[in-house]
Amino acid sequence: MIKPVAYFKPGSLKEAVEALQTENAWPLAGGTDLLVNMRNGVEHPDLLVDIKGLEELNVFEVDGKIIIGGNINLNFIIDDARLRKVCPVLGQSALTVATYQLRNRATLVGNICNASPAADMAPALYVMEAEVVVSGPQGERHVPINEFITGVKKTSLKKGEVVLRVEIPNPKVGKTAFLKKQRYRGHDLATVNVAGIANPDTGTLRVCIGACAVTPVLLKGTDELYKSIKDVDELADKVSELALQSISPIDDVRSSAEYRRDMTAVYVKRLVRTICS
Amino acid sequence: MIVEDKSKLRYVSKDIPRKDGVEKVTGSAVYVADMVLPGMLYAKVVKSPYAYARIKSINTSEAEKIPGVRAVITGKELNYKVGLYVVDKDILAKDFARYQGEPVAAVAADSELIAEMACEKIKVEYEELEPVMDPREALKPDAPLVHPDLGNYSYMKGVFQPRPKTNIPHVQKIRHGDIEKGFKEADLVVETSFYNPPVQHVALETHVAITQALPGNKVLIYTSAQSPFTVRSLFSVCFGIPLENIRVKVPYVGGGFGGKAGIHLEPLTYVLSKKAGGRPVKLMMTREEEFNTIPSRQGLYSDFKTGVTKDGKITALEANYYWDAGAYADYGVNVGRAGAYAGAGPYEVPNCKIDSYIVYTNKVFGTAYRGFGHLEVLWGIERNMDIVARKLGMDPVEFRMKNVLRQGAYTITGEKITRSHGHVYDCLDAVAKDIKWSGYKSEEEREKEKKTGKVRGKGVALLHKAPAMPTFTSTAIILKFNENGSVDLMTSLTDYGQGTYTALAQIAAEILKMPIERINVPWDSDTSFTPYDWQTVASKGAFMSGNATIAAAEDALRQIKEIAAQVLKCDVADLVCEDEKVYLIHNPDEYLEYKQIVNGYVYPDGTSIGGPVIGRGRYIAQGLTNLDPETGQGLPALDWTYGAHGAEIEIDIETGEIHVIRLASAFDVGQTLNEGLARGQIIGGVIQGLGSALTEEFKFSKDGKFLNASFVDYKILTAKDLPDSMEQYLIENPQHDGPFGARGVAEHPMISVPSVIGNALYDALGIDYFRLPLTSERIYFGIKSGKKEYHD
Amino acid sequence: MKEYTKELNITVKVNGREYHESVPANMTLLQFLRNKLLLTGTKEGCGIGECGACTVVMNGKTVTSCLVLAAEADGAEIRTIEGEAKGEKLTALQESFIKYHGEQCGFCTPGMIMSAQNLLDRNPKPTREEIVEAISGNLCRCTGYEPIIKAIEAVAEKGNR
Repeated sequence: MIKPVAYFKPGSLKEAVEALQTENAWPLAGGTDLLVNMRNGVEHPDLLVDIKGLEELNVFEVDGKIIIGGNINLNFIIDDARLRKVCPVLGQSALTVATYQLRNRATLVGNICNASPAADMAPALYVMEAEVVVSGPQGERHVPINEFITGVKKTSLKKGEVVLRVEIPNPKVGKTAFLKKQRYRGHDLATVNVAGIANPDTGTLRVCIGACAVTPVLLKGTDELYKSIKDVDELADKVSELALQSISPIDDVRSSAEYRRDMTAVYVKRLVRTICS
Repeated sequence: MIVEDKSKLRYVSKDIPRKDGVEKVTGSAVYVADMVLPGMLYAKVVKSPYAYARIKSINTSEAEKIPGVRAVITGKELNYKVGLYVVDKDILAKDFARYQGEPVAAVAADSELIAEMACEKIKVEYEELEPVMDPREALKPDAPLVHPDLGNYSYMKGVFQPRPKTNIPHVQKIRHGDIEKGFKEADLVVETSFYNPPVQHVALETHVAITQALPGNKVLIYTSAQSPFTVRSLFSVCFGIPLENIRVKVPYVGGGFGGKAGIHLEPLTYVLSKKAGGRPVKLMMTREEEFNTIPSRQGLYSDFKTGVTKDGKITALEANYYWDAGAYADYGVNVGRAGAYAGAGPYEVPNCKIDSYIVYTNKVFGTAYRGFGHLEVLWGIERNMDIVARKLGMDPVEFRMKNVLRQGAYTITGEKITRSHGHVYDCLDAVAKDIKWSGYKSEEEREKEKKTGKVRGKGVALLHKAPAMPTFTSTAIILKFNENGSVDLMTSLTDYGQGTYTALAQIAAEILKMPIERINVPWDSDTSFTPYDWQTVASKGAFMSGNATIAAAEDALRQIKEIAAQVLKCDVADLVCEDEKVYLIHNPDEYLEYKQIVNGYVYPDGTSIGGPVIGRGRYIAQGLTNLDPETGQGLPALDWTYGAHGAEIEIDIETGEIHVIRLASAFDVGQTLNEGLARGQIIGGVIQGLGSALTEEFKFSKDGKFLNASFVDYKILTAKDLPDSMEQYLIENPQHDGPFGARGVAEHPMISVPSVIGNALYDALGIDYFRLPLTSERIYFGIKSGKKEYHD
Repeated sequence: MKEYTKELNITVKVNGREYHESVPANMTLLQFLRNKLLLTGTKEGCGIGECGACTVVMNGKTVTSCLVLAAEADGAEIRTIEGEAKGEKLTALQESFIKYHGEQCGFCTPGMIMSAQNLLDRNPKPTREEIVEAISGNLCRCTGYEPIIKAIEAVAEKGNR
């Protein structure tokens, strides 16, 4: 059961930052990870700071750069027609997270703050080169997504800080996709998830793999392969080889490391074929 | 009782909505989970973190100091043993904790939260012991003993035989014909081995009980249980309290599937209530405890050696079953017994030898689960049949057709198949036609298909099951007329979703010749008010209580006619009942309405005769015998229900994912009692079986820790995981002693679903799989191995 | 420094009726509905948002009430299974569940109906795929889902309510 805890719903960012500086205070947004962890006795906050009343976290913009506030839930991301046009990979990823009911609560920012290696929203944000905008006692700072997630359940958030929003500064047109291997069709955590973007005009190919290392793995050197290899099947093979060199999956209750490796190869190939042809 | 003219049936066979529909769709049905009694306390338990450990000490002093804590209890102060067949379990572990998740201490407090926080303050000192996690390891002479005291336990004599100083609470033997002669007659002998992991029932309402120790050595129990009378009798034995002092009430139950048969949380809540001065105590399992503390379906290793002639007749079958009973025998010993006498499948096997070992290990223990051992043994049996057919170069449907039980044949316990039995071959025929079975695809076809990345396969599998129950199992029904002529049907059978109450109301309405709307089946079952029923298990409810309902309705009609005969001045034989009226057969204008009679008939001058009409009906199992302890020969089966599944699947050969395209199922139900409910039960069972086939399994670490005790990593199927299409065939070759010719079909739908998927997998890939579940990972590694047989 | 409280006063509208209650901050919306308001139609099946038995509609959106704090529901409008039928008059969906045997043990049924009704409210003519997506967060161990899908499809064909 959830143990006794204090609750505060600040009306302003200033109040929120102040509250978050108290001993063992946690921000509460969708709560779909935090409340589970509290019920299971994994986390023991003394104070929950409900940030859902903060206007700064309700922002959502798709004109020019994409801005997704900390309170934007995943169903909103799936349903927004403009976002679907500009950056479909976010909705595609979100659709695989948990269940419909949970997505009415779960936020994109919460998904990355939870920093699970299998976070389904992370690979898309990596390939879109998203930035996390953080507010804290020292003001605002922008953190690239791959510097924001630092390890298993670890982020670069400091005491008293709260994530305001995620920004995608350059949602340049490019073909994107997200694919997820799970144990069955019902809601499940990823065995492997992959996201990618390819832009033939700029010669950019970015591929990110989740659930196969302590953090999502953004492949390095994909641009060179993309520029030099014209045959899509050959490209898919080469990117997949690169992927296998870059990941370090483990055996756990969901999958063996070997299956994760082999599925990474399959899914990266499928991804590359989807976005590069 | 057989239906001569089905067109005359008004209620039986029809698709009638369930009696409890409105309560359930409005959320007004009250489950034990929802109940609060005045002064009620909430309990929580402390569980062993080790698979096997000696409990050195338990310090509860910190917990006792917490305000709101009303009782703290440990195993040391409890001198009671509980057990269905082998009395081997303490209410709370004492001296030894035998599985990870076993309760070792408990707290009752003013709130669940206080109870949980108090449990966290209880300090238990353990000495970790080497656990034994595999039943085959547990059989070795030097294996750690899970129950060093097995020789001192009491047990049901004449049926079970625990072996002291071993991990074996029972071995069920079947010896039929001459096994050596059978193998000599064989042209081909095939050996195969299979495995099923333990799995959970996953009823949506977890186990919950509220118990109050009352003055005068009396007890009141509200429990989410399948069998109020069995709870009462086991409780009585455990505490030495007379039956009449114990009242067990069962309201709506949120699913059971066998997991709520027997006795579970009632004894613990009772001792807590007693210690808390008689306040009622409620204990509800969390979902994690439901996996980790409450019993499950046993795992099974099965080995087969099959002898066949060139023309495809089975001459001999030798099978060894090794059941992973976990830490306590519970229903496991009886599951192993049922698995043995059904352990050759629905086939004529003239020479058969089966040894079914029930083996203790340090896992969460096994219990009854829908299918009662049959899904487990038939996983191997039906995969084995395909493999044997193939080695013979024979089509698997043809091979089965040659060997299925037909009238005149004998089962492996010596039971003769009569015209009252169903037809296995009708079921097989129905599903083979449905999936357009035309034989395995060739290796060339497979290779060609593989190039597309997807490959399809088809398969069939058969099944059978009879109730596993004591020879003298009985039940009773009371039909109590209300003053307006309507009827309350009283039963202690529990309807936790099967729809039995509705079926019984249909039967009563049919015989009583009155509208179904006027038959009320009140919830709850209550041992102090509703008549005896052994248990709601074994797919015997509609059969036995249906027969009792017919008897009760006939009894009521006889009483009604006796009064009417006096009033109408005629012989009882001259009276006919129709539309809630009893009338003279030669003059239909002369009649009495039931409501004029059922509370006593009043003459115009005010004098009266008769009185309240109460119909009484009973049924006791007919013709069953105990099995011979050495040969297993005897008559264990009230009614065999036969069935078959046919499936078409598609495999993604790069990932190993299975997509089920079609799943067709056929059962010889004898007579359909309610078509809508029957189809619903079949679809539900098939999908539950598909869970066993594809995703469900307990995972343990090497040192015996349960790794997936939650819905995060134990996956039951969702609405997204259904086959593209399903079909159900209700075949009706009547059971002569069934109600209107009906047989049970509650458990059967999930049996052999894993087998049919396994057989279709072979057709698709040309690879034999031997272990469940058939996860995409397992299938993928089978493909990757390049082998024709994949044993991991 | 500000003092933060573990007990709060909340105002919640449930099935059209307003409640003012004092709740501990660690109380979930599910516990609030069941234990405080005694609306026990909403069930707990897992406590971690995986099974959907506790599904209610909060401000027009389905949520698993085991993962919402009562405090978070301050000012919200909640719909539970108890608010679906109007007196003796069942909704079209409830009638359809009975007709197509969408319920067996009944424990998942309230949450299932809330998910399905919410779908029909936002999308009166859902496809089978949309139905499946909407109810796949509601686990059912009895029915095999197919009868539930049929019950929802039948309402969609005939028109909601």
